[in-house]
Amino acid sequence: MSWTSNRTAILILKLSPLMLPFVVLFCGGVFLTVCQSLGLFTPLPHTGGLVDAYTVILSDPSFFASAGFSFGVALASAAGSVTAATFLAYRVWQLPKMMAGAALVYKIPLILPHIAVAFVVLVFWSQSGILASLAHALGLIQSMQEFPNVLFSGWGVGMILAYTLKGTPFAMLLILALLVRFDVRQIQTAAMLGASRSRIFFSIVMPRLAPALHTSFIILFLYSFGAFDIPYILSESRPGMLSLHVFDLYFKHDLARRPEAMAILTLMFGFAVLFIIAYSKTVTRLENGVRKL
Amino acid sequence: MTLRSNLTCLLLILLMLFFNPFAQPARASGDPLPDTPFEQIREQARGTRVNWYMYGGWAHVNAWVDTFVAKEMKQRYDIDLKRVPMDAGVFVNKLLNEKAAEKKTGTIDLLWINGENFKNAKQAGLLFGPFAGRLPNVRQYVDPGSITHDFGFLVEGYEAPFGRAQFVFEYDTARTDTPPDTVAALKEWIMAHPGQFTYPQPPDFTGSAFVRHILYAVSGGHAPYMAGWDSDLYEKNAPRLWQWLNQIKPFLWQKGRTYPRDSAFLDTLFARGEVALGMSYHPPHAQNMIIEGSYPDTVRTFALKDGSIFNTHFTAIPFNAPNKAGAMVLADFLVSVDAQISKFQPENWGDFPVLDMKRLTLSDRQRFEAVDLGPATLTPEQLAKTAVPEIPAPFLEALEQDWKTHVLDQ
Repeated sequence: MSWTSNRTAILILKLSPLMLPFVVLFCGGVFLTVCQSLGLFTPLPHTGGLVDAYTVILSDPSFFASAGFSFGVALASAAGSVTAATFLAYRVWQLPKMMAGAALVYKIPLILPHIAVAFVVLVFWSQSGILASLAHALGLIQSMQEFPNVLFSGWGVGMILAYTLKGTPFAMLLILALLVRFDVRQIQTAAMLGASRSRIFFSIVMPRLAPALHTSFIILFLYSFGAFDIPYILSESRPGMLSLHVFDLYFKHDLARRPEAMAILTLMFGFAVLFIIAYSKTVTRLENGVRKL
Repeated sequence: MTLRSNLTCLLLILLMLFFNPFAQPARASGDPLPDTPFEQIREQARGTRVNWYMYGGWAHVNAWVDTFVAKEMKQRYDIDLKRVPMDAGVFVNKLLNEKAAEKKTGTIDLLWINGENFKNAKQAGLLFGPFAGRLPNVRQYVDPGSITHDFGFLVEGYEAPFGRAQFVFEYDTARTDTPPDTVAALKEWIMAHPGQFTYPQPPDFTGSAFVRHILYAVSGGHAPYMAGWDSDLYEKNAPRLWQWLNQIKPFLWQKGRTYPRDSAFLDTLFARGEVALGMSYHPPHAQNMIIEGSYPDTVRTFALKDGSIFNTHFTAIPFNAPNKAGAMVLADFLVSVDAQISKFQPENWGDFPVLDMKRLTLSDRQRFEAVDLGPATLTPEQLAKTAVPEIPAPFLEALEQDWKTHVLDQ
């Protein structure tokens, strides 16, 4: 008994360089956020009740519009990234050895910061941007204004483009890591037995990639749901991403409204946790029904 | 976002704790007492360093501070000036965190601040003072009546004046012959030129100021608001403002479905010709942009005849400033005739002086009159004709919040 507790103590001690920042910074941050959302420890003395900030936010229809919009943008960009990454990674993996080196080009967006990718999208896709100029110069459109209004369509297309551009190589990285350990003979055998290319892809390759797909989907989804930099450049005013509402409340409004900013953050955090739990449960249930290779 | 913002704050605090003792050179010890003569404060500040936290988004202003101000501070007072670029909202939050952590010695000596940020900082007890009345240049050259309020909030000596700004519109003479210079004409113009006008989305500083101009114009001027927050008055007049803004909405850039996030975004739209009118809270902004090469030479500015809002911007000292004496010497220097003239020159910045011209010597006044503002900037006399004061902060806060409900989400 004492031997096990000793071991646990040693283990905790060894993990402390990792655990300490986590407990102090992350848990401390979440704790403070929740407290301030309830009006405790706020910069200005809070006069209302504990759940005032939540009442204000939850009675504002534009909050739900923003939440739904953020959800949609996150879903579209994560799904888009993972899908594109799966096909691209599969293709890259199939390339002959000589060309595999050149395919490393896919890693370039990985080293670009999010904000730079946002500017790339802005410069290329706006109605006075590079693509519009190109289309105009080629005579495809009569005036620049005829170029599709991609960035201000009301559907967050600009943000989805930027997130997909940034997320695809990230997902590719995870997927390729699994693919390199994949046994080619499984595919060869299937092909010899007469399986079609799509059959091979969906029945043999995909199930093996599932862990990487799920992990990258969750990471990309939650990142785009809460991140701030890309929306700051590319978001439209309405409905607007949640992170921008928080930014405005936090930095640009009266200090008395700090609890509202923190309440949105708390709700976002709660949603992220619930999402991960729900997603993992669904995946487990689905996979239990599937025969493993 | 939760994790990131809080992590950043905490990491910053940790970093400061680690690096502070090594990074700071000799510091003046002790806060200047209220009865210390200013000569003694200057003596105390000699050989120290002053960290000035200020908005860093204007390259020409940064350059002016790094060259002219830094050089003069070194020569005159042997003070090393370090400019730290930071948005006002961010340093107020930094100070709030330091206050909550009971950090007695901070890192910021002087702030460039006004309006809501000043109100937030003063209400939360983040400022040292009163100190403005102790600065010799403020006592000698500034009309005390002109610096009693900052956005309707009592200053009480907790900030020293630094410059003056007034709201102007920008247009390109090559594209627009006669710009609409009243609020009524502006509305007609917008409706006649669909897609060529927009304003930054409140709570952006500039967009929010644009909205206040319309409020003044549709509700009988600024006078009724000057007495401070009055909810009946607000409830009565705000709907007229929303009506005006919603009427022009279908004729705005992107049909009013979306607005530029900040004034820099609007500047870009104006520079690229997507919209025909720009706006700025800084009269020399257009001239600066011409000098920079961002705007064509043909850009000019105008102010609304119904009234164009002006405000004063200030410097303030945090409660935990490590070098309050040095900060006071810098704040005082910034109000000096030499600094105000240098700042007034458009190639440096073009920011308007806070000095009362009547209090200056004839030769100093002539120095101000000799400054060539450039063709795009209106003269102080032209601006003075239409100048109206800012609205008290509670109105501003209500307008920014309700604009979202009544205009954006409509």
